This record gives sequence, structure tokens and C-alpha cells, in this order.
Amino acid sequence: MLRFNSTVRDGGGFDGALVMMALVYLVAFSAFPLVYNLVISFQSVDLFTIATFDRPFAGFQNYREIVDDPLFWPIVRNTFIFVLLSVGGQLGIGFALALFFRMDFPGSTWLRGLFLAGWIMPGLVVGAIWGWILAGDFGVLNWLLQSLGLSSQRIFWLSDPTISLYSVIIANIWLGTSFNMILLSVGLSGISKDLYEAAELDGADVWQRFWTITLPMMRSTIGAIVSLGLIFTLQQFDLFAAITSGGPNNSSNVAQYWAWDLSFRQYDFARGATISVIMIIFVMLASVVYVRSTRQEIRG
Amino acid sequence: MNIARVMGVFTLAALSTPAWADQVTINLWTIDRPGEYHYKMAEEFSAKNPDIKVNVRSVQFPDMVNELAKAMATGEAPDVTYIDNPDVALFASRKLLLDMKPLIDQSSVIKLDQIYPGPLASVSYKGGVYGIPRGANTIALYYNADLFKAAGLDPAKPPKTWDELYATAKKLNQPDKGVYGLAFSAAASEEGTFQFLPWLQMAGGDYDKVNVPGGVKALALWKKFIDEGLASKDTLIRGQWDSTGTFNAGNAAMDISGPWELPRMSKDAKFEYRVALLPVPEEGAPRASALGEGDNVIVANTKHPKEAFKFVEYMYEQMPRVWNEFGYMPAYPVKVDKPNYPQAYDVFNESMKFARNRGPSPDWAKISKAIQTAIQTTLTGQSSPENALAAAQKSIDGILGK
Repeated sequence: MLRFNSTVRDGGGFDGALVMMALVYLVAFSAFPLVYNLVISFQSVDLFTIATFDRPFAGFQNYREIVDDPLFWPIVRNTFIFVLLSVGGQLGIGFALALFFRMDFPGSTWLRGLFLAGWIMPGLVVGAIWGWILAGDFGVLNWLLQSLGLSSQRIFWLSDPTISLYSVIIANIWLGTSFNMILLSVGLSGISKDLYEAAELDGADVWQRFWTITLPMMRSTIGAIVSLGLIFTLQQFDLFAAITSGGPNNSSNVAQYWAWDLSFRQYDFARGATISVIMIIFVMLASVVYVRSTRQEIRG
Repeated sequence: MNIARVMGVFTLAALSTPAWADQVTINLWTIDRPGEYHYKMAEEFSAKNPDIKVNVRSVQFPDMVNELAKAMATGEAPDVTYIDNPDVALFASRKLLLDMKPLIDQSSVIKLDQIYPGPLASVSYKGGVYGIPRGANTIALYYNADLFKAAGLDPAKPPKTWDELYATAKKLNQPDKGVYGLAFSAAASEEGTFQFLPWLQMAGGDYDKVNVPGGVKALALWKKFIDEGLASKDTLIRGQWDSTGTFNAGNAAMDISGPWELPRMSKDAKFEYRVALLPVPEEGAPRASALGEGDNVIVANTKHPKEAFKFVEYMYEQMPRVWNEFGYMPAYPVKVDKPNYPQAYDVFNESMKFARNRGPSPDWAKISKAIQTAIQTTLTGQSSPENALAAAQKSIDGILGK
């Protein structure tokens, strides 16, 4: 008894208890929903069998139906464009801002902190604000473009099927940039100033210093940010719900919004889950990249 | 001594009120907030019937179907609940709602032949009656009388046919002043279906028969409104509330929406607005209008069907109050003294006679989606009205198992 007490208080038992707490949490809140989702995707499910496991097995029927759906390829394409441009834009602008704030001008830390305000706001609020900015008839952006003489006609950012997806991307880049900037700033501050001084003495110009010092030293940070960005972007649902609802005519519909629409608007939980499973596979690939890039960080 | 006496009084009190022991509790789910319709009904009914207590719980409107289905599967469903009218068939087809027909036949309060055909159809499913409308709403044409006069049109003669609607919208359209001829909603949501279905029904189609010449004509006209700039392109993504917002601000001369707009419109609109019946395809064509609002239903395995029905009867009796107190249209003809917004009330009340049900089909959500897709593919120019409606017909036939 005494030995048991002491091992719990300080020793192997204590470590075990800590690990178990995390493990139980993960199993209950991550593994179970994942497995449940996977199970649903192989069953035929409707609204009234959602509370039981005992449902007819459907094999790959749901997967076949999803892939055969005329919406499948357009939505894959939209999702791909959305992720690529969002992550690229967030990283590019975030990097530029991080470098800018590194110049340590008066008030730079304050300003950098203020940038985070956008990231803290809920997606639905950000979506509603962008909805007003981008509205076709009375939107702020159209008013600005017209009064500056940049555009003679109203641009229907949200209801023109060739533009609507890019409108959501603009909002998403705005939303994610500050988070990228903060992480990149942390990464930048980890690079020793001596390196730059030495390079400057050797006659390297700004571009050379960026390409040969900053970028290689930031490799693991960028890897982590890209994979995190991929995950956040694939999770982005609020902006679609608030700005375009995936419309018009699915021109701004992406996989995560489609999954929600199938499950909760049309009560087709099996097909909604099927899309989630396909997405999970992609996110897992991204996680592998993320884990590998952070592992390198610890070693380096 | 004192304590014993107090205890004695308590014992006596407990013995002399047997009602407490027999009190029945009914659980009610609603989309209302405290102070609104169902909360008031529950309070009044409990006050009149001390032996029945009504517990009210609010559920968000978009979550109602999900929450109910879950609760029914786990046996935690309420006794009485609100269901939006196109969703009644979904639950009725599974025998999850109580068929009230036998109770209604013996009721001295509820008379089915009294109820307007639209609301009655929305609660009927395969010979049974699975709910009682708590009220109804429908849509009509709002128009800005001041802009009519300014354009040289007679505000006493609103457009009656589709052709007139188009011609009027064209006359009222002033792009340089930021005024559109017409505002409506063609959004890819239930609202788009809600607005389009009456056009289809007036032209001889319905939810299960969308591929009709009249439907093609209706959709082609909607496309013309958008393409010629008589209605905003944002019509494709805007709900009715936001579209009507542009009418209230004077940025659209006409607007199609329902009576729920009136409280806000009476505050925001700085002009004289009037309401007219939805225009018909041509002179003499049958009328149709949308049917909104929902129903009071009793869950099939309730332990207190009698008390629950008594409560439903009570709510049915309050129909003359719903317009002035809660803003719904009465679901059967009633006499309303001094109605709010009298001109609008008369038109909407007339329109109720033509209001038609969405469905009934247990797969309403999927049928609605097929109709939305036809609207959206046409209005974005990705498909002709003919092809869009043919595609919709094909998916609807698949859903209905034809």
C-alpha cells in the first residue's frame, strides 16, 4: 500500500496516471468520433437510425455515390483552389508582415499584437463583415472601387459564379494571415543576428541574405505553418456559411461545406460522413508533414 | 406544541389537494423564445387547467428536426412539439406522430373542414391528420406606391399577370439611382424553393411535376429579371429578409415576401408601401401562394395523449389572436377586429385561400434541393430552363421512386 502510494505520488505510477488521462481524453474525444464517422460511412444511415450502431452495412456504396455525384469533381477542384490560395496567401502575406515588424520601428510590437485581433474574432462574425464589404449592390468594396474610378460597374463578388470562391478566399486569407505572422515572427526571432552580420561583412545583399539565411533557417517553421494552415483551411466552415453558403450554384462549395449540407440539410448522414473520411485521409497526410517538421525543430 | 400544529396544517393541506398528486406534466418543444407564442399558450393553458402542467423548452429552428429525431430514437421526445410544415410528412411517414383524426372526429373545438386547404394538406398524410397548424404565412407582392406615382403608374393597379409584372419592373427600374424593379429570393436554400414553388403551381406544375411548360416559362422569366438587371444578381444568394431590406431602403420598387416583414417595414420604409396578390401567369389562371409557419403535433408514444390533445385544442381556439399578437396568418377564417396593418392583412388573408403545401413527402429536403439546383443552374446561365427542370424532374422521380 505504501509502495503504491509512493509510486502514484512520485514515480512510474504518477507518470502512468498522467499518460492515461491524456489517452482517455484522446480516445473519448478524438478516436471515438473518428471511428464512428468511419463506421457510418460504410452503413446506410438516416435521421432515425443515427442513435444506434445497428444499421445495414452498405459496403462502398456511399463512396461510389459520392464519386459519381456530378458535384464531386467541381467541389474537389474548388477545395483544392481554396486550400492552395488560402495557405499560399496567408503564408506569403504573413511572412512579409513578419519581416516588416522585425525592423523594430517604434510601436512595432503593439501593432503586431493588434493584428491578432482579427484572428481572435469568430469566423461567423468575420464572414458577416466580409459579406457586407463584398455585397454587390451596396458593398463597401464596390463603392471604393467605383469612387476611385477603378471599376465602372458593380462587381458581384458573392453572386457571380466565376468570382464567389475567390471572395471567400480573400476573407480566409485575411483571417489567417495574423496567425501565420505571429508564428513566423517567433521563428524569425530564433535566428541569430550574428549570421546576418557575418553575411553582411562578406558582402551579401538583402536578397542573398534572405535566400541563404532566412529561408533555410525557417524551413521547419514554414513546414509546420503550411501543414497547420492546411488543417485550418480544410476546417474552414463559418466563412462559407456566412458569406456565400457555397453558392451560387455550388460555385463556392467546398468539401467541408458539402459534408455539412448533406448531413444537416438533407439528413444524409452516411454521405456526409463519407466526405469527412476522405478529408480525414488528406488531413492525416498533412499531419505527417507537420509532425516531421516539428521533430526536426527539436533536433536542430 | 407549535411545531406539531404547523405539521398538522401541512398534512391537512397535502391531503386536501389531491390534484397535486394527479398533476400531469406535458413537455413541449418550440422554436419560440420566452414570451412568444408557445410560452404564452403554455402559461395560459396551465392557469386554466391546474391539473396539467406544460414544460416548455426552446430548440433552435434549424436544429429542430435533428433534435427531435434523436430524442425519438432514445425515447426522450416531448409530448407536444412544433414542426415546420414541410417536415410533418417526414415524421408522419415513420409513424412517429400521433394520428389525431380519431380525436378530432370527437372534438367539439377542431373542425377540419374549417381549415384552409393549404394548411390542412400540410398536416395530412395518407389519410391521417398528424398536426394542427398554429397559424400560417404566405407571400405576396409588396410595392412602393411613391415610386409607382413617380413613374407615372397607378398605385391602385398593381401588376396582375407575369407580363404586367415584367413590364412594371422595367418601368420602375432605375439603375442610375440604384433602384431595382423587383426584389425576391432565389437562394440555394429552402427560401428559394418557398418562393419559386407558387410560380410553378400557378403554371400547372407541383413539387412532383416540375418539368412542365409553365415551369419553364416561370424560370425563364426569373432569368430575365436577373439578366436584364431588373433584380440584383445578389438575388441568387440573398434570403427573403435581406432582399426585403433593400426594398425597405428604397433600392427596389417591388418585393416578394411574407407578412413577417411588416413590423420592420413599418419602421424602416420611408414611403407608402402596399401589398398585392402574387401575379398569375395570365388573366384567369389559377392562383397559388406559398405556405409557411408550422404545426402543433403530438408525438406518437406520448403517455398523455388526452391532455396533449386538450392543449392542442386550446391553441387552435386562439386562432383569432395570432395575427395581432404573434404576426401569423390565421389558418382558418376568423374574424379579426381591428387587424394590424389592415391593407396588408386583407391581401395576405385572401392569399391564404390559395396557399399550397410543399410536398407532402418524407424526403422533402432532397426534393427541395433538386428544385434549388434547377433555379441556380438556370440563373447562373449554366443550363437552360428546359434542361434544368428536366434534370430536376429526373432526380425528383428518383427520390419519389417513380
